[in-house]
Parts: sequence; C-alpha cells; structure tokens
Amino acid sequence: MTNRRVLRGLFLIAIALFFGIQALAYPLGSFSRAGPGLFPLLISSILGLIGVFMLVRSRFEQADPMMFNYRNISIVLASLIGFALIAEHLKMIPAIVYLVFVATLAGSSFSLVRNLKICAVLIAIAFALRQFLGLQLPLL
Amino acid sequence: MDVLHNLAFGFEHALTLQNLLYCATGCVVGTLVGLLPGLGPLATITMLLPLTYAIPLSGSLIMLAGIYYGAQYGDSVSAITMKIPHASSIVACIDGYQMTLKGKTGLAIFTAGISSFIGGSVAIVVLSTLAPSLGEVALLFGPADYCALMLVGFVCVSFVTTGSLLNGLAMALVGVLLGQIGTDVNSGALRFTMGLPFLADGIGLISIALGCFGIAEIVRNLDSRSQFSPFTGKIHLIPTWPEFKRIIPSALRGSAIGSFLGLLPGGGPTIAQFGAYAIEKRFSKHKNEVGSGAIEGVAGQAAADEAAARTSFIPLMSFGIPENAVMALMLAAFILKGVQPGPNMMGQHPDLFWGLVASMWVGNCFLVVLNVPMVRYWLSVFRIPYAALFPSILFFCCVGTFSVNNSLEDIYITAVFGLTGYLFVRLDLEAAPLILGFILGPMLEENFRRALLLSRGSFATFVTRPISGTLVSLVVLFFAWQTYAFFRQGRNVRAASGQAVV
Repeated sequence: MTNRRVLRGLFLIAIALFFGIQALAYPLGSFSRAGPGLFPLLISSILGLIGVFMLVRSRFEQADPMMFNYRNISIVLASLIGFALIAEHLKMIPAIVYLVFVATLAGSSFSLVRNLKICAVLIAIAFALRQFLGLQLPLL
Repeated sequence: MDVLHNLAFGFEHALTLQNLLYCATGCVVGTLVGLLPGLGPLATITMLLPLTYAIPLSGSLIMLAGIYYGAQYGDSVSAITMKIPHASSIVACIDGYQMTLKGKTGLAIFTAGISSFIGGSVAIVVLSTLAPSLGEVALLFGPADYCALMLVGFVCVSFVTTGSLLNGLAMALVGVLLGQIGTDVNSGALRFTMGLPFLADGIGLISIALGCFGIAEIVRNLDSRSQFSPFTGKIHLIPTWPEFKRIIPSALRGSAIGSFLGLLPGGGPTIAQFGAYAIEKRFSKHKNEVGSGAIEGVAGQAAADEAAARTSFIPLMSFGIPENAVMALMLAAFILKGVQPGPNMMGQHPDLFWGLVASMWVGNCFLVVLNVPMVRYWLSVFRIPYAALFPSILFFCCVGTFSVNNSLEDIYITAVFGLTGYLFVRLDLEAAPLILGFILGPMLEENFRRALLLSRGSFATFVTRPISGTLVSLVVLFFAWQTYAFFRQGRNVRAASGQAVV
C-alpha cells in the first residue's frame, strides 16, 4: 500500500534535492554579496527540512492510502503532446481532430458523430479567434 | 473631495463605448466559463487571458477585471443551482443549494446578484479612499520590509487555503524554486535550465496555472466520473418586498466584513465568505434559519465575496504585492501588458488606475442588469455532457498556452505541469500557494539580496527595522501558536486513544 503522507514527504525532499544540488554548483558568494546559488540553496534547504519533518510525522499518524489512476492522465497528456507535435509539423486543424479523438477516449462514452461535431465547433472557434482577436494560430 | 474628483476622472475612461463593451464582454464570458464544472476563477482567468492580448492596454485590464467578477458570480450560480463547489464558492453551496431544494432558486440567484452589487459598491468606496494612502505607506517600505511582508503573505495564504501550514508553505517554497528557473537578473547566470534553451526566460505562469488548475482538474473530474445532472427547475427572479428587505442588512454586514478581510494578506473572497457566514449565523435576525436555506445565508456571503474580490486589489495596487493566487495571476497579466502595479502606478498611469476602479462599478452594474436576468439561459451550458466539454477545455488550454509567446513548445511545459498538478491533487497538496510563491519568488530573492547587501550580510536588519521586525514577530507568533496547537492536539488524541484502551 502506498501511504500518501510518506509519499508527500518524499516528493518534497526530491524537489528540494533536485534544486539544492544544482544550486551548489553555482557561485554562492557571501551573505553580503549573494551569488546566484545562495538563495535557491537556502529555499531548498528549508523545503527539504519540511519534507523530512513530514516524513517523520507520518510515522506517528495513520496511513492514508493514495489512489492514482494512470489511464486518464496518460490519455490527456498524450492528447496534449500530440496536439503540439502535429500543430508544429503539420497544421493546427489535424491537431484539433487528433486532440478531440484521443482525449475523448478518457470520457465515459465515445461517439464518432459527437466527436465530429466537437471538431467542427472547435475549428470554427479557432478561425474566429484568429479573425477577430488576431491570435496567430497556424490553422491552414 | 479628491476621491470624487479622481473617480469622475476614472468614469470618463471607463464609460467610453469601447471600454463599456470590453467590460460587458468580460463579465459575460467570465460568468459563462465560471459556470463550467471544475473551472474556478483561477483557471477561468488563465484560459481567457488570450482574449485580452489584442486589446489596447486600459481596455484589456478592464476586460480582465470583468472576467474575474464574472467568474466569481458564475461560480456562485453553479453552487446555488447544482451544488458544484469550487474553492471560491463553498459557502454558497450551503444555503444557496438548500434554497434550490425548496424551489426558491430564482430568489437565491437574485439575492446573490443584488448582494454582490451592494458588496462591490461598498468595496469600491473603500478601494478608492484607501489605495492612494496605502500607496504612500508603501513608499516607506525598504527591501527587508518587503521580504517580511511576503513572508507574512506566504504564511497566511498557506494557512487559509490549505488549513495546514506546512503543506501550504511547502507548496509556496516549491513555487519560489520554480520561479528561480531562468536567467539570474543580478549575475546573468543561467539557473536550473538543464541545458534547454527555451527555459532561459523562465517558465510561464500561464503554463503552470493551466497545468495545475485546468488539466489536473479535468483529469480529477474524469477520475471521479461524476455526472452533473443539469438544472431543470423554474427560475422566478423577482422577490417580494419583505424578502427584499431581508437582503439589505445582511448584504451590508457582509460588505463590511468582506472589505476588511479582502485587505489582509492571504485574505480574499474565500475567507471573507466564511467570515460573513459565521457573522450571519450569530447576529442575523433570522439566525435560526441560516443553514437551512435562508436569504441571509446567501446574501451575507455573496456580498462579502464580491467586496473581498475588489478590496484584494488594494495590496496589489498599492504595494505591488499580490495577496492571493488570483491576484498573483492579475499581477502577471498586468506585467504581460507592460504595467508594473505598485506605489508608482497611481502616479504614472492615473487613467489606468482610476479607470479600472470605475470599471469595477460598471462591471457590477453589468452583473446585475445582464447576468442576473439571463442566468437561466446560461445554465443551459450544463446540457452539454462533460465528455464533450473537456476536449474543448483542453483545446482552450492549448490555445491559451500557445498565444502567450506564439510558441507550441510551451504546450509541452503545460503538459508537464498537468502531470505535476495531478500529482499534487493526489498527494493532497494545494496548488494555490505555489502560484503565489512563483510570482513572489523573484521579488523575494531580489529584496532579500538587496536587504543583505545594505546590511553588509547581517540578518539583524530583518528584526531591527520597525516594520519588518513587527511582521517577522507576527510570523514567529503564528508558528508558535501552530506548534502549540499541534502538540495539544497530539496529546488529546493520545489521551482519547488511551481511554479507548482502558
């Protein structure tokens, strides 16, 4: 079982280490003439302390199980990244179609007709945004 | 009479046909998007930011403010009619939804609308009298004092939004660290860019906000598979005279509390609602009914909500320091437009400042005249199934990210923060303090370094200066109280479990 309280502490420590170790590589300077590494090092040490404290505290508290659903977050991320890739290498209209069709896989129901309708509406909105608001969307 | 003169000057700017149009569009679009499930004011504002890019400076700020109020109101409507709470409208769910169950939806929506109007009007008077004088106070603040003030802000926001000081503070610090990514202003050194050239300018706030509040929220909704049943009841808006009379005193009380709580660091609409609701429960004439669908329970909190939404602009405008996450976003939007809010803004851009203040009141009027009567039509957005809605929200997240720099690469960053935001949701960490930390981080570092430079490396400067000394001691007191509460709670739990064993 994964305990949310333990993971929370570990997660914060990981972030603190990630920034803290890199900060050590930058010139630290002195307090009167702080270098670029000093402030991030200070902040990440405090964050690390908080993380350690949470980890210690979690030993005295009841475990709090964490649920993590990989499916939906993966589908949504795949739709976003694919959208950016397709829009970059092709154009935005196929990207919109891709986004709609992949994202709706995560929904509770999947319907081809409805997806086509959403695509049509979104493409119309995209054209309107470009026309009336001057957004530089690479549509065609 | 200076205030009146300034306000008249502001209205001159706010009442041009163009600005009226922007204000109205902002209110309407904000309400509409704010109604959608899972989109609180933060996500709504971020998603709608691109709408303001092509608009001239003063118009875009006015529209942005309109979006903010609209989103607040839309939130409370979805809370009243369908009990869909966002962080910003938890209190509206209590009595508002009870009134819906009694078939008095129209009355509740009308009450919320008119109370918001009263709250907003009171807050504008407070804003226009207080902001200029506070701006003068802000000029007394040195770097050490600014550091201490930001520290107070972090502590308050952490405590208010999460209820757990440590969780919130940790998130604020994560935000500060994220704000460090990019080029160091003092030395020009690249920090934490991992060799990626597009990180040299830092991460965009929009990417973080859309990732943590837009995408993470969508996935959370998808996970829970909750289907909202659309509201189908009748809406009868116009109240009877006795009903109307019950609104006024509660709304006035709510406005006073909201105006005050909106001013404090970490304050803002959420805490103001709770404050006003508690007061109604204690002092209102019909206090026995509060909680079971009383007009007072809706009026007080709606007025406080709106009042605090406006007075929370005061610290931003006079000190240049946002007091909560929504204001942090506003600050980012201002900066994106090339305006630096702060003590100098009123002097340099009086038209912007007073135009914005005046447009707040204009926005108030639009909310009452436009939104309240038309709300029944807008509730039809809930007829759209969520399965059709969320791909569109995703698309708008993409467009919003893209149009900041016309860069598709930013969408990858948004995706990364979508994942991070989802982790936060699952780890039960609140992302609002992170946004504040991210915005304040660079300012905190600069003031910290400057303060130490001036004091030749001595930390005593944070304690010996009267302003920062007071603020720091407040923080210390707060921590002491929290530690005490923690240990007392621990002892109680142990005592309770001991008894259970015996």
